[in-house]
This record gives sequence, C-alpha cells and structure tokens, in this order.
Amino acid sequence: MLQTKEKKKREKYDVVSNVIIIVFALLNLFPLYWLFTSSLKNSSDVIKMPPDWWPKTFSFSNYIDVFNNQPALRWTLNSLFVAGVSTILVVIASSMAAYAFSKLNFFGKNMLFVVFISSLMVPKEVMIVPLFRITQDLGMVNSLWGMIWPNVATAFGVFLLKGFFDSVPDALREAARIDGAGEVRTFLQILLPIVKPGIGALFILNFVQVWNDYLWQLVIGQDKNVKTLMVGIATLMQDLNPNFAYKMAGATVAAVPMLLIFLLFQRYFTRGIAGGAVKE
Amino acid sequence: MKLRNYHWKENVTGYLFILPQFLMFLIFIVYPIIEGIRLSLYKVQFNQETFVGFDNYVTLFHDPVFFKSIYNTVIFVVFIVLLTVAFSIFVASSVFDKNAKYVSFIRGSYYIPVMVSMVVMSMVWGFLLNPANGLISYAAREMDFSIVNLLGNKHTVLPVIIFVTFATNVGQAIILYIAAMIGVPKDLFEAAEVDGASRVRIIFQILIPLVKPTTIYITIINIIAVLKIFVVIQLLTGGGPNNASVTMMYYLYNNAFKYNQLGVASAVGVIMFLITMLLSIPQLRAMFKGK
Repeated sequence: MLQTKEKKKREKYDVVSNVIIIVFALLNLFPLYWLFTSSLKNSSDVIKMPPDWWPKTFSFSNYIDVFNNQPALRWTLNSLFVAGVSTILVVIASSMAAYAFSKLNFFGKNMLFVVFISSLMVPKEVMIVPLFRITQDLGMVNSLWGMIWPNVATAFGVFLLKGFFDSVPDALREAARIDGAGEVRTFLQILLPIVKPGIGALFILNFVQVWNDYLWQLVIGQDKNVKTLMVGIATLMQDLNPNFAYKMAGATVAAVPMLLIFLLFQRYFTRGIAGGAVKE
Repeated sequence: MKLRNYHWKENVTGYLFILPQFLMFLIFIVYPIIEGIRLSLYKVQFNQETFVGFDNYVTLFHDPVFFKSIYNTVIFVVFIVLLTVAFSIFVASSVFDKNAKYVSFIRGSYYIPVMVSMVVMSMVWGFLLNPANGLISYAAREMDFSIVNLLGNKHTVLPVIIFVTFATNVGQAIILYIAAMIGVPKDLFEAAEVDGASRVRIIFQILIPLVKPTTIYITIINIIAVLKIFVVIQLLTGGGPNNASVTMMYYLYNNAFKYNQLGVASAVGVIMFLITMLLSIPQLRAMFKGK
C-alpha cells in the first residue's frame, strides 16, 4: 500500500521533469529554426511584425547574394583547409605521442606526460599577444598556416588516445615484436588499426573545434581572402546592411556543415567527449 | 653493456615518437607563456621594447574599465557555471534511464547549439534581440514591457548574455552527465527501489554523489571556458552599453589589437593565466590520482 503510493509520487516527478525537459529542448532548437526560416525569407518579410512563423514565399536570393557579393566560397574553402589540415596534423602528432606514453618506456615519461596534460588547462587565448608575435616572426600572419600550426599544439589528442592505447593488451605488441616487426611497423600496422574508433573521435572533435574557432582566425586572417567562414560571416553581422535575411543566410552556411557532421557521426561525440572526461 | 644499449635505444625510440608533439608544445605553448610574462614587464611600441617593471600592472589597477571587466567576468563565471551544473544534472538525472532513442533525442537537441558555434548562435540571438525588428523585442513590446532593447540597457545586458551563453553551451555538460549516470551500477537503483526511495531521493542521495568527479570536471572546464568569453561580447554588445558588458578577454583583445598596448594586454594575459592554473589544480590532481 505504502509502496504503490511512493511509486505514484515518483512517477509524477518523472513525468513533470520530462515534460519540462522536452519543452526546453524544443525552445533550445527554436533559434536555429528561426535562423533557417529567416534565411529563406525576402528582406521585407524577415522584419515583418507580427512575424510569419513559416516563410510565405521561399527565396534563395540571400544565399546567392552571400556567395556573389562576398567571397563566401573562398571562406568556406579556407575553413575546410584550416580545419582539415590542422586535424590531420593533430592526429599524426598525438597518436605518435599517445603511443609512446602508453606503450614505450623512456626516461622522464611520467613527468613529461604530467606537463603535457597540464597544458590542457591553459587556453591559448590568454597568450594571444606572444602567440601573435611568434606567428608574425615566422611570417605566417595573413596565412592559413598561421591559423593551423598553433592548433596542432594541443594535448587533448594525446590524452584522449592514450586511453585507447592503454586498453590494448601489451601482449599484442610483444607478439608483433617477436614476429620481427620494428617499432614503427608495430605502431602503424598493429596498434593504429585497433585504436581507429579513438582516431575517429579525435578527428571529428578536433575538426569541429577548429572549424568553430574564432578569435585566433580573426587575429591572423586580416585580408578578405584569407578569412575563414566564421570570421567572414561575423563581418556580415557588423555590416550596416539592414537585410537580416542575408546575414542569416551567411550564418546558415556556416552552421550546416556542422549539423551534417553531427547527424552523421553522433556516436563519436558521445564517446569522444565522455572519453576526455575523468573516470574514477 | 648490451642491456644498457637496449635501454638507450628504447629511450631514443620514445623520444622520437613524442618529438613532433613536443616541438609544437615548446613553440606554441611553453614559449608564449614565458614570452607573455616577459612582455608584461615591457612597454612595446612597434619594434621598440622598453623595460618598465610592473608599470603595466599598475596601469591596469588604475583603470576602472579593467575592474569592470573583472567584475563582469566573475558574474558570468558564477552564474553560467551554476546554471549549467544545476540544469544539466536536472536533465541528465531525468532522462539517463529512459529508452535509448529518447536519450539520444534529448542529447542531440541540447548539443546541436554547441555544434553550430558561438558565432552563429550570437548572430541568431542578435537578430532575435534586435530592438527594431527582433522577435523578442516585438514580444516585449506586445506584452508592454518597459525595456525593449535588452542589450542596450545596462541592467539587462548581463542576464541576457548569461542566458545566451548558458543556452548555447549546456549541451556539453548534459552529454557528460548522461554518460556518467549511465555508468552508475544498476543494483544501486534496484536496492533503492526496494527500499521505496523516491526519484528525487535517488537523484540527491545516489546520483549526485556518485557523479562528483564529473561535476568537478564540468565546473572547471566551464570556469575556464567562461573566463575567455569573447565572441558573444564582440558580436552582441561590443562591450557596451558604456562598458557594462566588457569582459577580461574582450579587454585583453582591445588592448592588444585596437589600442596597440601589447604590454598591458600581456599583463592581463598573465593574470588570466595564473587564474586558470590555480583553478585547474584540483582537476589535475583528480586526473593523476592513482597514476
């Protein structure tokens, strides 16, 4: 008797909280809904009040304008290049380092790992002045390479992949060694294929992070032609042009690739993000 | 002799494998930190550097805008982190034991704004909040609120930015909490259920204590993320009205790239660096515990 009463109470909290959560989830998606639908309205409909909740006439002219009046295609290609190349370099450098920290023995290994991981806590933004001057000295201001290299210096990949390497039994590596494989071959042909899910998670998380990066790309890419998509569309926002539909079209162009990546690779996000967290 | 040779070889192999990452680490993390500390003691004009000791720090502590930026940053950190932790525990504890499709729907809908970046979200919110033709301003007018320009009013600008940042970033914490809660052993819930514990009691007495490491992690990464908040300020308010929403990162950026005060900007950077290091000590401790 008492138990059924308790059960009812529990279910009530559960029902109420889940309803609240669903309502908030939909509200949370509303700004994006508003972004997409506004980008398809024409310049007079977008500011009409009371608003059209759904575009009356679909117009793609805002998108055409963004690509015609602004070097949006160039920006997109720049972003793809910066995010793609940074990520490939991150994967190479951090899988090598993670392998060494997990499977090899060398002097000072634990201390070096601690130092590496501590750097995870330093946001590169706070060191932006010296970082800018170094990039300048290397002649990489206004160059996509100047956006790429500092991104490779992240310990996140080492931390994430070390966990994956740790879960591979040492016996496997020893067997490969006994069969006569050298260290490089053992790493490339035996271990790397096993940690593929980790590489996948790192690839996607890093790609998204660099794609969405803003401050560093803003500082380095000053010419219109070396701007990345995020920086480029942000200039639309500061533009005096009152046509909001046009600005929303620009923002949509920047958002869509990330939405596609999310829908295609959802499981990597959960795994990668949770894998980067502490586990007791 | 042979054994020693072997050890030597293993050491070299190890160093060669970490070399690329280590070089990047030295050039783009270690050197900037040292150089940043050095620059903070210099006055930098074009290519001329003059040693000024702690003058840049003295300048900072005489600038009311710098104090305003610290105050705003602290407000942002406290409110955004509290909101994020509380709300994500609420969401995760309510959905983690539901069926997989529902969990991934909730996870997805809260995570999508995280995916599409602060720049895009700031632009949408900027449009929604635009005093002339934004949906939110229109609603405020229709409901006869006195304030329509929420971003142009010094009393409402902080809460609005807190809300926008929270709403855009809470998804990450929700994912982490759901993952942690799914990992809690099932028999604990069964035992609690047999005892007739209510859902609320299970949440407060089993779930929250057991996901404490996740809470520490989320708190620290969020403090550090909020500390460097920049995009939303630049795109929504430009630090205004009248410096009411200026943050430390925005102040640093302006000094460095607008007013050409590289020494002062470096001093702000050093202060922020020290804060992040202090904050991350408990996290680093947790990470290396048992290693």
